[in-house]
Amino acid sequence: MKILVVDDSRIMRNVLKNILKEKEIDEDAILEASDGVEALKLLKSNKVDLVLLDWNMPKLNGIELVKIVRAEEELKEIPIIMVTSEAARYNVMEAIKAGVTDYIIKPIRGEIVHKKLEELLK
Amino acid sequence: MNVKYINPFITATINTFKGFLGADLKTGKPSLFNSTDSDVKYDISGIIGLAGEVRGAVVISFPKLVALKIVSNFLKEEIKIFGDDVIDTIGELVNIIAGNAKKDLEEYRIVISLPSVVKGPNHQINWMQGVPVIMIPFSSTYGPVYLFVSLKDII
Repeated sequence: MKILVVDDSRIMRNVLKNILKEKEIDEDAILEASDGVEALKLLKSNKVDLVLLDWNMPKLNGIELVKIVRAEEELKEIPIIMVTSEAARYNVMEAIKAGVTDYIIKPIRGEIVHKKLEELLK
Repeated sequence: MNVKYINPFITATINTFKGFLGADLKTGKPSLFNSTDSDVKYDISGIIGLAGEVRGAVVISFPKLVALKIVSNFLKEEIKIFGDDVIDTIGELVNIIAGNAKKDLEEYRIVISLPSVVKGPNHQINWMQGVPVIMIPFSSTYGPVYLFVSLKDII
């Protein structure tokens, strides 16, 4: 199983990686990208089972990436959890419309990420 | 300056500190801020710009030692260098405050910018001329944190 963590903050990528490791997900199973362009390259070159995706990032933001992924035959079924500080309802609606599978509002709580992972990876 | 635009930032700051760091912030008495005759010291700030029915900025500022303690607590390792990790973490903290405040400002026509971070001993903030700056001090186990608000009603 491979999980792609996408966030322009190295600190936040580390926080998410540590949360994943608490669920006994091996470090080798976690891929990292700091923007949407890098994430797209990794998605095309690896078999990724889940994406944890920030919204606001340089080059290609999270919403733009979701739209691209959902339009690609090979990638469109990958579950994507948006992990973002964008807490407004219209943001959540925009993300759902773009095709995210789930939505987590920062600050991140480990138990919430764990719960979502359990639901998605059943 | 209408408090309906300020309170969401106070609430978001308190909630974010609790959620991000598990820390309780105690809100002090707001006052008018004048950078030239204030003894308030800060070394890093997150600046959130607002446009729409109000225009201006909300700034959250931290003294260096407070920022280092916050980042050390968050990363669970002692951070002594006031560098990229501090900018990254404070940026993320302020980003979360902005995102959460947005939720409570949904009913107003306000655009909130992505926060930017500036660093340096008592750096200058370019406030809008003629618009008062209100300072809301917070105390915490890490030390003082300051919220500055300067907003001009457009409508």
